Amino acid sequence: MSNSKALIQTIDLHKTYKTEAVETPALNGVSIELHVGEFTAVAGPSGSGKSTLLHLLGGLDRPTSGEIFLEGVALSGLSKDQLARLRMTNIGFVFQAYNLIPVLTVLENTAFVLELQGVVRAERIKRARKILAELGIEQYADQYPSRISGGEQQRVAVARAVVAEPSIVLADEPTANLDTATSHELIDLMRRLNEEKGATFLFATHDSRLLDRVSRLITIVDGLITEDEKKHDPSAE
Amino acid sequence: MKAAIRHLRRNRGRTILTLLAVLIPVYFLVSMFGLTNSIVSDMFETATRIDTGHFQIRHIERRGMGAAIPLMHDSKSVLAALDKIDGIEWRTVRLDMPALASAGDRSQAVYVQGVIPEEIAPISSIRDLVVKGTYLKNGQNGAVIGEELAALLNVGVGDQIVLLGAHPETGLGALKVPVVGIYRAPISAMGRTVIHTTLTTARRLARSPNAATAVVVRVSGVTGPWDVGKIEAVTAQLKGLLPDDVEVLDWRKLAPQVSGYMAILRPVMIIFAAIFFGLGALVVLNTLYLSVMERTRELGLIIALGASRWRVMGMILTEAGLITVIGAVCGALIGVALAWIVEALGGIPLPGAELADYMKVVGMKPVLHMMISWPQVVISAAAMVGVAVLAAWFPAYRASKLEPVEAMRYVE
Ligand SMILES: Nc1ncnc2c1ncn2[C@@H]1O[C@H](COP(=O)(O)OP(=O)(O)OP(=O)(O)O)[C@@H](O)[C@H]1O
Ligand SMILES: [Mg+2]
Repeated sequence: MSNSKALIQTIDLHKTYKTEAVETPALNGVSIELHVGEFTAVAGPSGSGKSTLLHLLGGLDRPTSGEIFLEGVALSGLSKDQLARLRMTNIGFVFQAYNLIPVLTVLENTAFVLELQGVVRAERIKRARKILAELGIEQYADQYPSRISGGEQQRVAVARAVVAEPSIVLADEPTANLDTATSHELIDLMRRLNEEKGATFLFATHDSRLLDRVSRLITIVDGLITEDEKKHDPSAE
Repeated sequence: MKAAIRHLRRNRGRTILTLLAVLIPVYFLVSMFGLTNSIVSDMFETATRIDTGHFQIRHIERRGMGAAIPLMHDSKSVLAALDKIDGIEWRTVRLDMPALASAGDRSQAVYVQGVIPEEIAPISSIRDLVVKGTYLKNGQNGAVIGEELAALLNVGVGDQIVLLGAHPETGLGALKVPVVGIYRAPISAMGRTVIHTTLTTARRLARSPNAATAVVVRVSGVTGPWDVGKIEAVTAQLKGLLPDDVEVLDWRKLAPQVSGYMAILRPVMIIFAAIFFGLGALVVLNTLYLSVMERTRELGLIIALGASRWRVMGMILTEAGLITVIGAVCGALIGVALAWIVEALGGIPLPGAELADYMKVVGMKPVLHMMISWPQVVISAAAMVGVAVLAAWFPAYRASKLEPVEAMRYVE
């Protein structure tokens, strides 16, 4: 796997937030490569730059300097609209909270990305139902997000993130608001999608108890990578 | 679309506010148009029924004659031409001329209208306004005068008055005629000056047995100045049919006070509309802006998931469009319904005799009616929707410009 072509490659990423007088350096030179099929965690203390890194990788924000290549395409060369297209077609997002559009049902939320992509209604409903079934949450299909639990909402978010089969799913502390058991269930769910469908995941967490199932662990402190550890990868066997 | 409806349902209070912001201006405008239409129509009817008709055919004026109208001696061929065309409701021959009316030692400058009584009956002009005595009968030698003139000359029904006519084309002519009726004029200046006699009497006064000053014509289906197209359609047919020495003059020339009033009314209505629409648009802008602010997180999420700027703008504009169309349609319907109710009750009488007198001066009736014109209703509603959607553009634009990361950090 290490000699396969990189899905994502970053070169010396720097990001400094400027607010009025204050400058906050969030990333101080991050160079990593992510590969297809990896199940990677980015761990690090609060404020270390995990979210910032995920935002940059997902084309939600631009680095102060450095370059990101996604499947060989330099993101710095893309316009805002092109970045939005790229997010729509290549990236699945799971955020810490507020993942779902409150006025849409679980099914409609799941199908939303497909709708953005212009997939016809019958087709997107079919695909959304299928993924909900695979994740064991089809019984909530017609519920509104506010009617289901936090853990269920995050499962729907995962379903929404993978339904369009993006190049990579970026999950920023997807378990931060969940209890330990539910957190493990969610990580297991993502891992299963990784193993069964070969979906590539990168998720940020500061909970070390969630790290036993990852294939790769990147540790980040003060905007710098301090450790990059390949673990035993069952899917590679 | 479905999402837009659900958004509107989720925030009922704001939706209702937006709805009202569109509904009220449209409703007001429809009502105001209804009232002004009725007022204009009253004035128009007063002028065209009693005096000018929708158009007149007169001898072409070659020299200035002061208050006098040139005489036409061949009204027969004009009537023949009118018989050949469509759309004419009514026509008659009239001889109008300035004169001096005196009784005893009192005199007053008047305007004699020589009419054919049986012909003017169907459109009920001064005939219906007679309060003392009777109206003229065919061939009767007599005069019907206004209450104001009767008071000025201190005469009543049965008294004789002397008319001294002075048409510049025929010179002086004097006649003694009895007052057979006294009418109550809708416009006080008219009551002071306009005298009706038969055409025969007026011709004697003009000392010219075939003379007339105008063939007065009313066109079918005309309810107000807005039907000017129908009048023009009829006058257009007359081209080539009339003798060379006559011309067609329409009510705009003959009753300039009505077209003048309309000319004032138009900018007034535009200003009112602008104020109403402006206020409505501000409310729409404000509520929609609040709604965008409140949904910053959600919009951020949608943008993060890859929705294009146009898509985001489209979402907000769809919502705005939906609510404003509903509001405008409701406003229009309420306005129209109210007008129907007012008309079903026979109009709103205006209290106060003074006001009634004042209105009489300009030819308005002291009862308010509402005349709904569908094109105006549709245009008012459509214009409000247009303005509101334009106002929605700003919040929609702001929504489309949200930065996803910042928007999702946003805490209400
Ligand atoms: N929009 C912003 N404006 C200013 N500073 C920011 C912004 N976003 C992040 N920062 C700062 O950048 C640094 C890195 O933040 P980041 O959110 O990437 O950390 P994190 O590792 O995700 O932390 P956490 O575990 O709390 O989510 C922090 O010091 C943070 O305060
Ligand atoms: Mg974070």
